[in-house]
Amino acid sequence: MTPLPARRLRRALRAEWTKLWTVPSTPWLLAAAVALTVAGSAGAVAAVDTSQCPTPSECFEDTIKLSLSGIWLGQAAVVVLAVQAMSSEYSTGTIGSTLAANPSRRLVLLAKATAVATTALLAGVLGVLGSLVAGRAILPGNGFTRANGYEPLSLADGPTLRAVVGTVLYLALVALLSLGIATVVRDTAGAITGVLTLLYAFPIVAQLVSDPRWQQRLERYGPMEAGLSVQHTMRLDELPIGPWPGLGVLATYAGVALLSGLTLFQLRDA
Amino acid sequence: VTRLVLAEWTKLRSVRRWVMTLAAVIGLTALVAVIEASSRSGDAEEGEPLEQPDFADELHFVHQPLSGDGSIVARVVSQEDSHEWAKAGVMVKERLEVGAPYAALLVTPDHGVRLQWDFGNDVAGSEGGATPRWLRLTRSGDVVTGYESSDATNWEEVGEVDLDDLASTVEVGIFVTSPMSMEIERQYGSSAVFEEPTLGEAVFDHVRLEAADGSPSPGDGEWRDYDASIEPGLGGSTESNGVFTLTGSGDVGEVWRPFGDDLVQTSLAGATVGVLAAAALGALFITAEFRRGMIRTTFAASPGRGRVLAAKAIVLGGATFGAGLVASVVAFLVSQASFRTTTRTPGLPELSLANPTVLRAVVGTAVLFALVAVLSLAVATIVRHPAVAIPVVILPLLVPAIVTTGLPLSVATWLTRLTPAAGFAVQQTIERYDTAIAPLVGLGVLAAYAAVALGVATMLLRRRDA
Repeated sequence: MTPLPARRLRRALRAEWTKLWTVPSTPWLLAAAVALTVAGSAGAVAAVDTSQCPTPSECFEDTIKLSLSGIWLGQAAVVVLAVQAMSSEYSTGTIGSTLAANPSRRLVLLAKATAVATTALLAGVLGVLGSLVAGRAILPGNGFTRANGYEPLSLADGPTLRAVVGTVLYLALVALLSLGIATVVRDTAGAITGVLTLLYAFPIVAQLVSDPRWQQRLERYGPMEAGLSVQHTMRLDELPIGPWPGLGVLATYAGVALLSGLTLFQLRDA
Repeated sequence: VTRLVLAEWTKLRSVRRWVMTLAAVIGLTALVAVIEASSRSGDAEEGEPLEQPDFADELHFVHQPLSGDGSIVARVVSQEDSHEWAKAGVMVKERLEVGAPYAALLVTPDHGVRLQWDFGNDVAGSEGGATPRWLRLTRSGDVVTGYESSDATNWEEVGEVDLDDLASTVEVGIFVTSPMSMEIERQYGSSAVFEEPTLGEAVFDHVRLEAADGSPSPGDGEWRDYDASIEPGLGGSTESNGVFTLTGSGDVGEVWRPFGDDLVQTSLAGATVGVLAAAALGALFITAEFRRGMIRTTFAASPGRGRVLAAKAIVLGGATFGAGLVASVVAFLVSQASFRTTTRTPGLPELSLANPTVLRAVVGTAVLFALVAVLSLAVATIVRHPAVAIPVVILPLLVPAIVTTGLPLSVATWLTRLTPAAGFAVQQTIERYDTAIAPLVGLGVLAAYAAVALGVATMLLRRRDA
C-alpha cells in the first residue's frame, strides 16, 4: 500500500463531511440519538429507587452504568446515520460521482469512516453528558444520596470517567461497524436490519440458553454486551469480559466489518 | 380486490430478496431454537433430573379417626391474614400421608370460603372476609359434602365431592396452612425474586364430630397433631377449653411454580430474532415502491389507495403468517426433540402440537410474525423510508425483552404490557412470577398497534402525493 497523501485525504474528508452534513436527516438523526440516549437514561434512573433494596446502603447499584443505559436506544439512531452515509450513495446512484471525483476507494471509505465516527462521537458526548446531568438530578431523589453511600456522579472519579469515555467510544465503534456492514450489503434496509440483529440478538439469545457457559460466551462475544461492559464500575471481576477488552471485542467486529467492506468495495463494480 | 391481492402477491414472490427475507424468518427462528437446544443438552450430561410432584401437601392438621359415615364441624373464629391464599378449615383425609386423597372446606383471607379436594379441584363458597364462620364436612360413603353457616343453624351447601374408593376409616379434623409469599429485592443492579414461607394462624372452637344421624359423637376423644408444614417446627397447636389455636405453613393443592421453565415459550423464543426479518420485509414491501416510483404505476392501475394498502397488508400478512408457521413448528419440534432426551419439568401438559395450549402458542407465534410485518408496513407507509421504519418497529419490540433484567420488576412488567413487545406473551404456556400479560391480551396489544398504524397510514396515503 502506498502512503496516503495528506492533501488528498483532507479533500476526501471535506467532501464526505459536506455530504454527510448537507442532508437534512443527519441533524435529525443526531438529535434523535442524543434525545433517545438522554430519555432512556433518565427513564431507567427514575425507575430505580433504594426502597426496592433490603436497605438503602445495600443496593450496590451501579449508578453510573444505570445513568448511561439510554445508549441502548440512542445507538439505533447512530446505526441509521452510519448505514445511510454509505447505502444512500448506492440507492441514489451518487456513488458513481463520488468514485469519479476520488478514484481511491480506500480513501473514500477512510474519509467516510472518519466523518461518521466524528459525528457519532459528537452524538456520544452530548448524549452521555445529558444522561449524566439527568442522573445527577434524579438519583438523590430516589435515595442514592451521600448518606446512603452514593457520591454524586462526577467526571473526576476514575471509573466514572472510564465509563463515560468508553460509552462515547462505544458509539463511534457502533457507527464504524454499521458503516462496514453497509459497505458490504449496499442496501439501507438490509444493513440496518443486519446491524440491529447483530447488536440485539446476542443478549436475547443469551437470556434464553440455560447453560451458563454458553451464556457467558454469548455475553463475552456479543458486540453490544461486550462493548457496554465498559460502563461497569462495580464488581468488575464478575463481568464476563473486562471493560476495555470488551470494547476491544466491539472494535474487532467493527474492524472486520470495515475490512470486509473495503475488500468488497475494491473488488466490486460500484 | 382479488385482482389487487393477486398483483401484490406477484410482486412479493417475484423479488428474490423478499423471498429470501421470508426464508430468513424461518432460518433465524429455527437457528435460535437449535442453539438453545444444543446448549440444553449440555445439562443432561451433567444429569439434573427434575423429579418434583406437581402438588403440595403441606399443612398442620389436628385430627382423629372417623369410622364409617359422619361429620366434622368447627367454627373458625379468626384467621391471620398471612397470605391471600392462607387456608384454615376442616378436612377429611384418607391417611396421614403426603398425597393421600382429601376433601377440605376452608376459609381464606381474600378468596372467601372454598371447597377443595384432591389437589387442584376447587369450588367457591361465600365470598368475602368470612370469619367467624361455621364449617361442616359430612362423609357419606364416598361422597363428602361441605356446608357453611354464619350461625350454626342455617347451613348452606357449598358443594359435593366424590372421593373414589374412600377408606372406611378416615382422619378428620381442623387444619391451617399458608403458602409461600413472593419477595422481590433489588441488589447489584438487578432484581432477585425469591419465595419466603409465611406462617398461617387460626383459632377454632366448637370442634366436634357427629355420627351419621347428626348426633354428637365422642370419637375416640383424643385430638392428635400432624405437622407437615413446609419447614418442620413451623406448625404448632394449643388447646384450652375447646379453643384451638393452630399455626401452619405451606400449601395443600396444585403447585404454582413461579420459577418454572416454560418449555414451549423457550422453544419458540427464536421468534424474537425472526421478527427482525419480518419487520424488514414489511417495511420494504412499500418503501421499495416509493423509492422506485413504482407506487405511481400501482396507483394508476388501481386508484383506491386504501384498497392497495389493504391488499398489501393481506398478502404480506398471509405470507409472513405462512413462513412464521413453518418457523414456529420447526423451532418447536427441534426444541422438543432435545427436551425429550434430556429433562422434563413435570406438571406441564404433554407437549405435542395436539395440545390446545401448545397449538395456541405455535399458531400465535405465526400470527405474531404477521402482525409485526403489517405493523412495519404501516409505519413504513407513514414515514416512507425503511431506514426510519425498521428501527421504529424493532426497538419497541426488542428493547423491553433486553432491559427487563436491569429494571425493577414492576417497571419491566408495565413496559411489556404497553409496548408492541406484549405480543410475545402469546408464547406463554405457564404462569410465572414475571408473567406480565395474558397470552391473547398481549397479542391484542400488538394487533391494536398494527391496526392504529394501518389506519393512520391509510389516511396519510390518501392525503399525500405519491
